[in-house]
Amino acid sequence: MKNYLVIAFLFLCLVVSSCAKKQTVAPEDEEYQDQVEQISDLDSALLEPEEFSKEPSLRGVEFEQKISLGTVYFSFDSSKIPDNVLRILKENVKYLKANPNLNVVVEGHCDERGTIEYNLALGQKRAVKVKEYYVQLGIAPNRIATISYGEEMPQDNRHNEAGWAKNRRAETKVIR
Amino acid sequence: MNLNFINKFLVVFLFLNFFCSYVCAENDIYLSLSGTGSRASIGLSEFVPKNGFFEEMNMSRDFKETLENDLILSRHFNVAVANSSYKFDLDSQFSYWSEKGVSVLLTGTISIIDQTKLIVDVKLYDIESQQLIWEDRYSGSANNYRYIAHRINDEVVKRFTGEEGVACSKIAFINNNTKFKEIYLVDYDGYNLRRLTKDNRLNVLPKWVPNSPQIIYTSYLYNNPDLFILDIAKNKRKALSTIQGLNSPTTFSPDRKTMVATLSRGVYPNLYLLDSSGVVIRRLTEGRYIDTSPSFSPSGKEIVFISDRAGYPQIYIMDIDGVNLRRLSTKGNCDSPMWSPKGDKIAFTMKYDGTFDIFLYDLPKQRIIRLTEGQGSNENPCWSQDGRFIAFSSTRSGKSEIYIMGMDGSGVRKLVDISGESFTPTWSYGL
Repeated sequence: MKNYLVIAFLFLCLVVSSCAKKQTVAPEDEEYQDQVEQISDLDSALLEPEEFSKEPSLRGVEFEQKISLGTVYFSFDSSKIPDNVLRILKENVKYLKANPNLNVVVEGHCDERGTIEYNLALGQKRAVKVKEYYVQLGIAPNRIATISYGEEMPQDNRHNEAGWAKNRRAETKVIR
Repeated sequence: MNLNFINKFLVVFLFLNFFCSYVCAENDIYLSLSGTGSRASIGLSEFVPKNGFFEEMNMSRDFKETLENDLILSRHFNVAVANSSYKFDLDSQFSYWSEKGVSVLLTGTISIIDQTKLIVDVKLYDIESQQLIWEDRYSGSANNYRYIAHRINDEVVKRFTGEEGVACSKIAFINNNTKFKEIYLVDYDGYNLRRLTKDNRLNVLPKWVPNSPQIIYTSYLYNNPDLFILDIAKNKRKALSTIQGLNSPTTFSPDRKTMVATLSRGVYPNLYLLDSSGVVIRRLTEGRYIDTSPSFSPSGKEIVFISDRAGYPQIYIMDIDGVNLRRLSTKGNCDSPMWSPKGDKIAFTMKYDGTFDIFLYDLPKQRIIRLTEGQGSNENPCWSQDGRFIAFSSTRSGKSEIYIMGMDGSGVRKLVDISGESFTPTWSYGL
């Protein structure tokens, strides 16, 4: 019975989020934009560093994509969250607020064009940027872990811009 | 450490004594390579099968091939080998090599005892004076004959140049032919390939621990990118740093007492000084940017690393206490710097004209030298112990493979043929 409820709820979320996407195109963008600017301008130093860096452990746990939240994509060699993907992160935040018992991991990924060492760090930076955004929107930092896979786990194996664009990403997954 | 130093000093001292006694010997046998880069000519004859066994004859051929390859790869010598008219008696040998313009002859005998034990008696002659310069006996398992040949090569190199040869060294790297990323190990000449990890997981960035049969690397074995240390001699590994978040990449100090690692600790990837057991001693860099890819200077007093604090990844040097920061590069996207064993150069990867290539930064001259050009993407340079060679990964064949070149970019050779793609070589030193 419980399972059914969860599935029903997830389905509802999916419907809601996909509907929301369709509706938003023009009118909400501006509104978001303003909010975004404000939030991006917030100095992360305002967050207690020690508080912020607390993360749930990933050791020995699963974080499969079963209840995957929206993925955001980045420009080449950039960890700046593009304005046009903030909506996705906001949806993720809504979901997290509606499910306060869930912990998530933000996975940072890169395309294959950078070097291996640097990409490992760049993926981490992307994950932290997304975490910062979630925290600024009110999610407790200790619910969000960060991990970097660098260029090691591409979503798209094509060696062209279309493939690379899909690999420069931050995925938010629920920790089981 | 002091003892170690004294030992080393003694060895060098004794060697010098030894060396001088030869140099000053009656017939003026000079063992030297000229400073202008011309090479000594060395003649290599087949090692005589002592008992004439069939196995010994096969071994003689294999042994000579291995040693010949070593001498060529060392790039210290012009190597001449004997043709079929060659006779094994010493007198005709000298006239034979003399005609070939060779200055020294490396030869010897081979015997196999109980079909398993190999004994090699090696002799080095000066052709002109017909004097014996050096002789020694090496023994070991016949299966391990390549290692004996490598040791003889390194001894010859040392006698001519005073420097350690690299024929006994090994190279570890990552390969993905199992669909996972595992660490592999291979001799410097491409033989004895074997797989070190069998995790069916993601392992990245192996780095050799100085003067030790150990490799430090990052593994996602327990999901989190943790730092592991693998002892090849004991075939054992343990987790070193398992702080939540990124634990990589890492460089050990030359004395192996400390290491510098990139840790994220829930925030941005910065550099930390750790003790050899993985405990954080102090934080070295701070800020909302990437600081990574550390490499110790041979003195152990400085590190070179990468930071994107300028907006894109550039090379920086700082003292090991976190002060005296200065930027080296001014352009391109740079990564994977590695300080040369002699301390005067830094090899690194730079994205320039759209592709990645290997460059050197010459510290005294403060200039950049390009080593690879127009042949795919070339990354992760790694010095040999003697500082004369660089191993790196390149996509020049259409897939990423490991290559070795001279430190001037010449003489590129593929390290080993292996299916799948290979990345991030690391060269043993002091093994």
